[in-house]
Amino acid sequence: MKKKVLALVLATAMVFGLAACGGGSTGSGDSGSASTGSGDASGSVRLLNGKPEIDEQMQALAAKYKEETGNELIVETIGGNTSAGDELKKMYQADNVPDIFVIEANQAANWDGMLADLAGEEWTNKTGFELVNDSMGTIGFPYTVEATALGYNKDILDKAGVDPSTLTSPAAWKEAVEKIDSQKADLGLTAVFGWCAEPADLGWSSGTHVFGQYLDAGLKADDTTYIDLLNDGGQIDTDRMLHFAEFVGMMNQYSDPDLLTTGTYDQQVAGFVDQKYAFITQGNWCVTEDKGFEMGFAPYAFEDGINTIIAGPPSYWVAYKDGNVDGAKAFFNWCAGDSAQDILVNQAGLVSPFDDCKYEATNPFFKSMNEYITAGNYSGWHTMLKKDGLQNETCQVFADYAGGKLDAQGFVDTIAQVIKNYYAE
Amino acid sequence: MGNEVSMGKKITAILMLVVGVLFFVRAMMLDFSGSKADFRGAMLIIGVVLIIAGLYFFPTLRYHRTIINIIFLFPLLFAFLVTVIIPLVLGVSYSFTDWDGIRMNNIVGLANYTKIFSQKDFIWSILITFMFVVFNMILVNLVAFLLALLCTSKLKGMGFFRAAYFLHNLIGGIVLGYIWQFVFSNVVTKITMTLIKDNTSMLENFRTAFFAIIIVYVWQYAGYIMLIYITGLNTVPGDVIEAAAIDGASPMQTLFDIKIPMIAPTITICTFLTLTSAFKQFDVNLALTNGTPSADFMGEYITQGTSMLALNIFQTAVVKDNYPLGQSKAVLFFIILAIVSILQVRISNKKEVEL
Repeated sequence: MKKKVLALVLATAMVFGLAACGGGSTGSGDSGSASTGSGDASGSVRLLNGKPEIDEQMQALAAKYKEETGNELIVETIGGNTSAGDELKKMYQADNVPDIFVIEANQAANWDGMLADLAGEEWTNKTGFELVNDSMGTIGFPYTVEATALGYNKDILDKAGVDPSTLTSPAAWKEAVEKIDSQKADLGLTAVFGWCAEPADLGWSSGTHVFGQYLDAGLKADDTTYIDLLNDGGQIDTDRMLHFAEFVGMMNQYSDPDLLTTGTYDQQVAGFVDQKYAFITQGNWCVTEDKGFEMGFAPYAFEDGINTIIAGPPSYWVAYKDGNVDGAKAFFNWCAGDSAQDILVNQAGLVSPFDDCKYEATNPFFKSMNEYITAGNYSGWHTMLKKDGLQNETCQVFADYAGGKLDAQGFVDTIAQVIKNYYAE
Repeated sequence: MGNEVSMGKKITAILMLVVGVLFFVRAMMLDFSGSKADFRGAMLIIGVVLIIAGLYFFPTLRYHRTIINIIFLFPLLFAFLVTVIIPLVLGVSYSFTDWDGIRMNNIVGLANYTKIFSQKDFIWSILITFMFVVFNMILVNLVAFLLALLCTSKLKGMGFFRAAYFLHNLIGGIVLGYIWQFVFSNVVTKITMTLIKDNTSMLENFRTAFFAIIIVYVWQYAGYIMLIYITGLNTVPGDVIEAAAIDGASPMQTLFDIKIPMIAPTITICTFLTLTSAFKQFDVNLALTNGTPSADFMGEYITQGTSMLALNIFQTAVVKDNYPLGQSKAVLFFIILAIVSILQVRISNKKEVEL
C-alpha cells in the first residue's frame, strides 16, 4: 500500500511538474495575445527593431513616448546574425507577431494581405519615402534614410587637386584616380579605393550595395527599368553591365590588395577613417560621427553623365493587420514629430526622411547626401527588390573578378549566367 | 462488500477518464479556434491530470503494470514527441508543399524533390560532402592514431601533450572557424607574400579552400579521437606485448600484428564517429568559408563551391528564403544519415559479437 501511495505521489508530482512547464508557456502566450488583443489606441504597442546598434536609443524613444502620450511602446531588438525576417516567421508560427515590425521591400510579398494600409495618415504628407505596395497600399513607415555611393575623404581630394563634383564620367574618374595614385606616398595613402569584395562575410556589400549601382546609378528614384528587367526572369542589360564591370575593374586595380579579397568590414572602415584610402565603397552608416575630416559622396559614374547616389530607406516599419493597428498608427504619427525625430536624428545618428525635420543629422556624410537629395539627384534602393538571397551568389562573381580570375567580359558573362540560374530556381 | 468498492472505484475511474478527455478535447478545440479565453491552460492541465488519474485507478489487474509503466514513461515520451517526432512529421510534410515559413498555399507533391536534383549546386554539394567525409575519415583517424601512439609512449610530459592535443576540441566550431579564417587570410598570406610574393589567401580558390576546411577539421577533431585510441591502446594487455618482445618482435611487428588487431573495435567506433560528424559538418564550414569560393562543375559556375550539405540546406531555407526546398533537402539529408547510422550500429554489433 505504501508503495502504491508513493507511486501515486511520484506520478502526480511528475504530471504537475510537466503541467507547470506547459502552464508557464501558455501563460506567456496569453500575455502576448492580451497586448495584441486590446485594440484601442491607448494600449501598448510592440515594435520589433532590426537595428541592434540603435537599441539604446529606441529604448529612449519608448520612454519619451510614454512620457508624452502615456502610451506604452515595447521595443524588442533582433539583429547581429539573426535576421529579423527569420525571427518574424517564428513569431508568426507562435502567434506572437509584434504590432510593428521591420521588413525589407522584397519581403512584402511574404506578408501579402497581412499588413495594415497606412494611407492618409498625417505623416505620409511629410515624406516621399513611404513604402507603397500594389495590393496592400501604403504599408511602410520610413524610419531612416540611408545613402550609398563612393564615399570620399574631401581633405585628401583637395590636397590631390581633385574636385569631386567633376566625377561624373568614366574618363574623369580614370584621370582623377591616376592623379591620386601617383601622389599616394605624399598623401599618406595605402590605396585609392577602400573596396573589399571578400564574399564570405562581406557579400552584402558587393552583392547588394555595389550591385545596386548597376541597377540604379543615374536613374531617377522612381525609375525601375533595370530592376524590372532583372525580376523578369533574371535578365541584365549587357552593355550597361559591361560599363559597370569596367568601372569595378578600375576599383579592383586601385584597391588595397590586402583588403580587396580577404579584408573585413572593420578593416575597410578603419582604413578610411585613418585616411589610408581616398574612397570607400560603403554608405553613410559606416561612419556616424565626426572623424576630423570632411566626407562626401561621389557617384559610380560608369557611364557618361551619371550624377546620382542611391538614397532611401533600406527597410521599413510596418503595422501588422491583426495587431494593435490604431496604436501603431498613433505611434507613427508621433514618431514623425519633433521630439521623436530629435532622438532618432541626434542620438541614434539616423537621417530623417521627413521634410519638416529641423534637426541637421550628425552624420558626417549628411551634408553631401542632402545636396544630392534636394537637387533631386538620387536613385532608389531598388537593389532591395531583387530576389532574396541573390547577393550571396553575385558576390562570388565580384570576388573572382577582384581576384583576377575573370576579366570584365568574363564578369558580365558569369554574372549573367549566375543571375539567370538563380531566378530559374 | 469488496465488489461494491471495486464498483465504486470503477465508476470513479471511468468518470475521471471521461471528464478528463472532455476537458482535454475542449481545451484543444478552444486553442485551435484561436480563442483568447484565460481558462484554457488550466482546463488542459486538469484534463490531463484527470486522464492520468483515471488510468491509474482503472480497475484492471492485467494491464495495471503496463499503465503504470506508461505513466512513468510519459514525461520522456512527451518530450521526445514534442522535440523529435512532431518536427520530423511536420518537416517531411512541409517538403511536399510550398510553405514559405508563414503560409502554405499549395501542395506541390514531389516537385521540390525533382527540383533539388536538377540543381547542379546541390549535386555538387553532395559530391564534396562525400569527398570531405572520405578525406576526413582517413586523415582524422590516421593523425589521431599517431598522436595516440605518441601519447602512450614513455616520453616525458605526456599529460601535457595529451591535454594540448585535446584542448582545441573544447573550442566551438564557429569560434574556430573565425580564428582560422584570420590565420588563413592574414597570417598565411603575410608569410607567402614574403616567401613567394603572392598574397592569395588559401580561401580564395576552391581546391585550397577545401583543403583549409579539412585542416581545421582534423585539427579540431583529431584530439578527441586520439583520446579514444589511447583508451583502446591501454586495454591491450601488457603480458601479450611482453610475450611478443620475448619472442623477438620488432616495434613495427608489435604495432601491426598485436596492437592494431587488438584495438579493432576501437577503430570501428572511431571510423563511424568521424564519418557521422564529418557528414554533419556545419559550423566550421559556415564560419570559415560560408560556402565561398566558386568552383566549376559540369561546365557551370558554382558560386558556393565549399558549401556542404548542411550549409547548403541552411542557405536554401534561410538565406534564399526557400523553406520548402530546404526542407526537402533536409529530408534527403536525414535519409542519408539514417542509412549511415544503421550501418554503423549493425557493423559495431557484429564486431562486438566476434570478440
